Amino acid sequence: MRIRCPYCGERDNGEFSYLGDAAPVRPDGMEASAEAMHDYVYLRDNRAGEIRELWYHGAGCRAWLVVTRDTRTHAIGEVAPARDIAKARAVTPAGSASHA
Amino acid sequence: MLDRTPDFPSPVREVGPSQKFRTATGGLIDRRRARDFTFDGRTLTGYHGDTLASALLVNGVRLVGRSFKYHRPRGILSAGSEEPNALVELRSGSRREPNTRATMAELYEGLEATSQNRWPSLSMDALSVNALLSPIFAAGFYYKTFMWPASLWEKLYEPMIRRAAGLGRAADAPDPDTYEHAHAHCDVLVIGGGPAGLSAALTAGRSGARVILVDEDFCLGGRLLAERREIDGVSGPEWVEQAVAELKNLPEVRLLSRTTLFGVYDHGAYGAVERVSDHVAVPAPHAPRQRLWRIVAKRAVLAAGAIERPHVFGGNDRPGVMLAGAVRTYLNRYGVLPGEAPAVFTSSDDGWRTVADIAAAGGRVAAVVDSRLDVPVPLRRMAEAAGAQVVAGGQVIGTRGHLALSGIDVRDSYGSTLRIACDTLAMANGWNPVVHLDSHLSRRPVWDEAIHGFVPGQLPTGMVAAGAASGRLTLSDALESGARLGAEAAESCDFRATATATPRTDPESTAHTPLWRVAKPKGKAFVDFQNDVAASDVELAHREGFRAVELLKRYTTLGMATDQGKTSNLAGLSIMAELTGQKIPAVGTTVFRPPFTPVAIGAFAGHHRGKEFRATRHVPSHAWCLENNAQFLETGLWLRPAYFPRAGETDWLQTVVREVETVRGKVGLCDVSTFGKIDIQGRDALAFIERVCANPFGTLKVGRSRYALLLREDGFVLDDGTVSRLADSHFVMTASTANAARVMQHLEFCRQWLWPALDVQMVSVSEQWAQYAVAGPRARDVLRRIVDPGFDLSNEAFPFLGAAEITVGGGIPARLFRISFSGELAYEIAVPAGYGDAAWRAILQAGLPYGICPYGAEALSVMRIEKGHAAGAEINGQTTARDLALGGMLAKKKDYVGRLMKERPALTDPDRPILVGFRPVDPSQRLRAGAHFLAVGAEPSLAADEGTMTSVAYSPSLKHWIGLGLIRRGHERHGERVRAYDPVRGGDVEVEIGAAAFVDPAGERMHG
Amino acid sequence: MAEHATLWRPRGAWDLYAQAGRHGRREGPAGVTVTPREGLALMSVTAVDGAEDRLAAAIRDRLSLSLPEPGAALFSGETGLIWSGPGQWLALAPARGDLDGLGAAVTALAAVADQSDGRAVLRLSGPDARRVLEKGVSVDLHPRRFGPGRTAVTSVAHIGVQLWQRDDGPTYEIAVARSFAGSLWSWLEEAAAEFGCEMRAGG
Repeated sequence: MRIRCPYCGERDNGEFSYLGDAAPVRPDGMEASAEAMHDYVYLRDNRAGEIRELWYHGAGCRAWLVVTRDTRTHAIGEVAPARDIAKARAVTPAGSASHA
Repeated sequence: MLDRTPDFPSPVREVGPSQKFRTATGGLIDRRRARDFTFDGRTLTGYHGDTLASALLVNGVRLVGRSFKYHRPRGILSAGSEEPNALVELRSGSRREPNTRATMAELYEGLEATSQNRWPSLSMDALSVNALLSPIFAAGFYYKTFMWPASLWEKLYEPMIRRAAGLGRAADAPDPDTYEHAHAHCDVLVIGGGPAGLSAALTAGRSGARVILVDEDFCLGGRLLAERREIDGVSGPEWVEQAVAELKNLPEVRLLSRTTLFGVYDHGAYGAVERVSDHVAVPAPHAPRQRLWRIVAKRAVLAAGAIERPHVFGGNDRPGVMLAGAVRTYLNRYGVLPGEAPAVFTSSDDGWRTVADIAAAGGRVAAVVDSRLDVPVPLRRMAEAAGAQVVAGGQVIGTRGHLALSGIDVRDSYGSTLRIACDTLAMANGWNPVVHLDSHLSRRPVWDEAIHGFVPGQLPTGMVAAGAASGRLTLSDALESGARLGAEAAESCDFRATATATPRTDPESTAHTPLWRVAKPKGKAFVDFQNDVAASDVELAHREGFRAVELLKRYTTLGMATDQGKTSNLAGLSIMAELTGQKIPAVGTTVFRPPFTPVAIGAFAGHHRGKEFRATRHVPSHAWCLENNAQFLETGLWLRPAYFPRAGETDWLQTVVREVETVRGKVGLCDVSTFGKIDIQGRDALAFIERVCANPFGTLKVGRSRYALLLREDGFVLDDGTVSRLADSHFVMTASTANAARVMQHLEFCRQWLWPALDVQMVSVSEQWAQYAVAGPRARDVLRRIVDPGFDLSNEAFPFLGAAEITVGGGIPARLFRISFSGELAYEIAVPAGYGDAAWRAILQAGLPYGICPYGAEALSVMRIEKGHAAGAEINGQTTARDLALGGMLAKKKDYVGRLMKERPALTDPDRPILVGFRPVDPSQRLRAGAHFLAVGAEPSLAADEGTMTSVAYSPSLKHWIGLGLIRRGHERHGERVRAYDPVRGGDVEVEIGAAAFVDPAGERMHG
Repeated sequence: MAEHATLWRPRGAWDLYAQAGRHGRREGPAGVTVTPREGLALMSVTAVDGAEDRLAAAIRDRLSLSLPEPGAALFSGETGLIWSGPGQWLALAPARGDLDGLGAAVTALAAVADQSDGRAVLRLSGPDARRVLEKGVSVDLHPRRFGPGRTAVTSVAHIGVQLWQRDDGPTYEIAVARSFAGSLWSWLEEAAAEFGCEMRAGG
């Protein structure tokens, strides 16, 4: 597999570590409920199709990335820096901490 | 043409009469360069340019091996990598390599080959009695035959099957050769160097595109080397020579012969293995035996050709029965005559080429049996002119002979049986495109009625198929499609390419009516030669309900082993289709996976074998450690000094005890550079640290260090270390040796994904600093002689958990932390790693008056157990802060990773094992890590299990063994006795529960 | 202080591993020449979010270099700035101390950390330098894709490296975490053996 890092260009998947679904958002703060945190840590959809997932370019630029991948074909679509996506998310209202 | 591949020079020498079946002239062998070789100890001669297979055939050697299950005599079926039968051991000693295809092994001077799977000899195989027992070796035999009594499996059945079956023997000494990896990138990858592949490479290469052409053969040209064909008025080999010469002059074209493309992976990644030195006895100096290529290509043209189909008839495995295309290869390329009386069994016009070629070489043909009733008249006339008896509408139903073919039984169109004497039978039953590579990404091939075979279905992204690999079986189609698709591939990489006019070729016919199997064969009619699967086994699988194609494969083993069914798959499917009344495409096909042909493990390992199995990291004091007889241990990739034996010390424990006693009584020096060190800066650095650490940091002042506990979000402990505040917004965090990379990844995750708005800059400085622990009551005295004047080391000025940026050695920047892992008065001093060696030597010299000694990871571990500190054995991914008796330090008023999940009921269950100390009731007894705790008198059972001993050490301070472990409600049970039960090593020791800290529990020493 | 001069001598990162002289094939000119780059000044520079423009100006004042884009390395003589990650660069200068004061020059604009001792650097040149590197580097080093002024953070033989190209000789420099120097050399020596490898004395 080859992943196009937005910083480094296309690299072998061996340079990356996989984390999983990028949809769950951490329920931050002291008000967060245990239930919401449980869902964040454990609940995942297992989709056949396109999924946005987190990969870490650990053997490269150390950027966390959000990779859009089709689980049926491994076709990879958009690859974006996770930090940019997280920053855009941060301006959305607090409390929307659930599956995006 | 042969001279384009490098070879060691050898004397030019005339050859004797031994090459009985050599044609007088012709072929692509170099008749001036004889090559002596041995087969089963017998010396034979061939020529440079021969394969082992052609050199055996030319010397009349037909019997080459014994079959897998029945030990039937087997010969050479093919002339390529599809060969199922002619597997031999090549070379000897540490270079011995089993299961090598004789058809792919290039002949070199001194080649040693040995037949395999026979005992005591190839022609007298005692185990061929298996053939008489064949009913018990039928499909699924190992599921049925050895069912009872089960106790005999290990003693009898398995050794018996292993002796009887199995192929060659691996070398029993380490391989003396080297293997390496290499990477290559290109615009267009061309897989296969036959007419289609060469045409594709030419049009793509002329455009300026970067082209890589790989071919498994040692000569490029594919079938053009094997057939008598003409292209634009020149012979096939001449056309190849011109094409190769042009390709070699294109600077961006790379030709890799002797290179098998074995795997197709996602997104244009390919694996190939180049047999750099397999064609010589010993690799040239500094040359690897094989090179594993990882190729990345934007486009690929699959031009891997096609594999001819055998016929399924009785005794079709007898030595002398060969694929017709292979007979032509041996004749035209290698100058090997197909015996004295060859016959041809064909279901296609193309089989008749064999007759023409033999006649052209001056040979005669005994018979041509065509399963089709209508045979074109010119073909029949040509055969009759060659002396052949022609049987139209006939079928070969059986073979005669024992170790070699002596005749065939033919059923003619009227149902009568004819007996025809012959010593070679060439089978032509059509061709199967090589659909293996294009189906590596789970894309199934599809049925093509025109060629009665599977062709590539939906191809992997970026790949196109040309020539025979795409089902277009004529030469003119190969040249046309190759040139066109090569140009298109280059165009799609933004090069301007044009496909030149397709060259003229001599006429050809692909007329073909496949004969899937012969009715009522005489004797076993084999489908899969390598696995000894006969048509009757497919029938058996059908009767027993194993009809789905995947079940058929697993039940009968059809299509397994080293050839992966290259010559057998379709035959098996066609029989199952007939039995189930389906069409072949409805039966389906199994999907091929990498590798296309077997790849040596050594090639995958490359550089990474022996001590290079993985990278090794060395500590800054490594040179001194080597000079001073340090003993090392591996921690992750690190090679850490474990202990430093002195003259007269005979046992590691003696050394470790001495090191611990020196630290506790005087002073010691330990290299702790292996800890991860993370530089954290920014306005929000403190806020960030608060969120990633479970204990509070709000009160951490500049110039101070603090223990840091990191949890995972699921509430378990991730790692522990320290955080030191060097300036208002500048911190350095340490992580344990084993977890350093994981912690860095976690912190990057937190910074980039969880809290991107925080102003935090983070970088690893692990490698910048050599860091040494100076520990023991005289540590301060030693450091006074190291630290530049002006820095006050007194307890008042630089107390426990102090952190400072200082200088040493007259202005070298350094960092000093008053941190203690040993529990003694201790410092960790960090200097730039380039000065690490100097600092280590300087500290040892400064410590001489105080009796300093270096201590290693073993002594460090002993002292941390004496102090009750959790380490890797306890922070094992299954323990919480509470389990490690660290619950008290958890912050209450801040959010941090793991805060909520650690409160889950199961993680706060008071019955969870908790960290405490253990001492043997009888102080002479030794403790063992891994022992399970049981109540005294309890029967060992899962229910009675109360926890485990995690770390043990002999305590020099207490003069007996001590342990740390996790036991239910341990903190409430101090003074209680339990059993430490270790049945694996025969341990059963009564131990007493106590505090985890055995030495100086109040921590007075380290504060002193 | 006299004892300092003798005792506190820095040790080269490659000293223990790479012996000067000829390695591998001995016939003919060496295909690759390797020069250890000891004594360099190296500093990681990590930009504060939103301060990139001011950081670029401050860096220009201090080093006469602009901030390179991802994948780029800029040099002015032997002083360079090499992109090494999002918002992160490696500043390089020929001698210890050359980058002193860089941190102060970019206060509040970037975090600066000394890496002079953390990375071991080799210079590779010679006709076969690229072929040697291609055995270990999975990044495309073809001149159409990689040339002078390009850099990649990647791995060689499972060891994290950063490499950059200095000129189209081609001359490359490769930096590896110091503790891995022995393993990297072991790979390099084997990979370069068929071409012949001349190891120069450190400089």
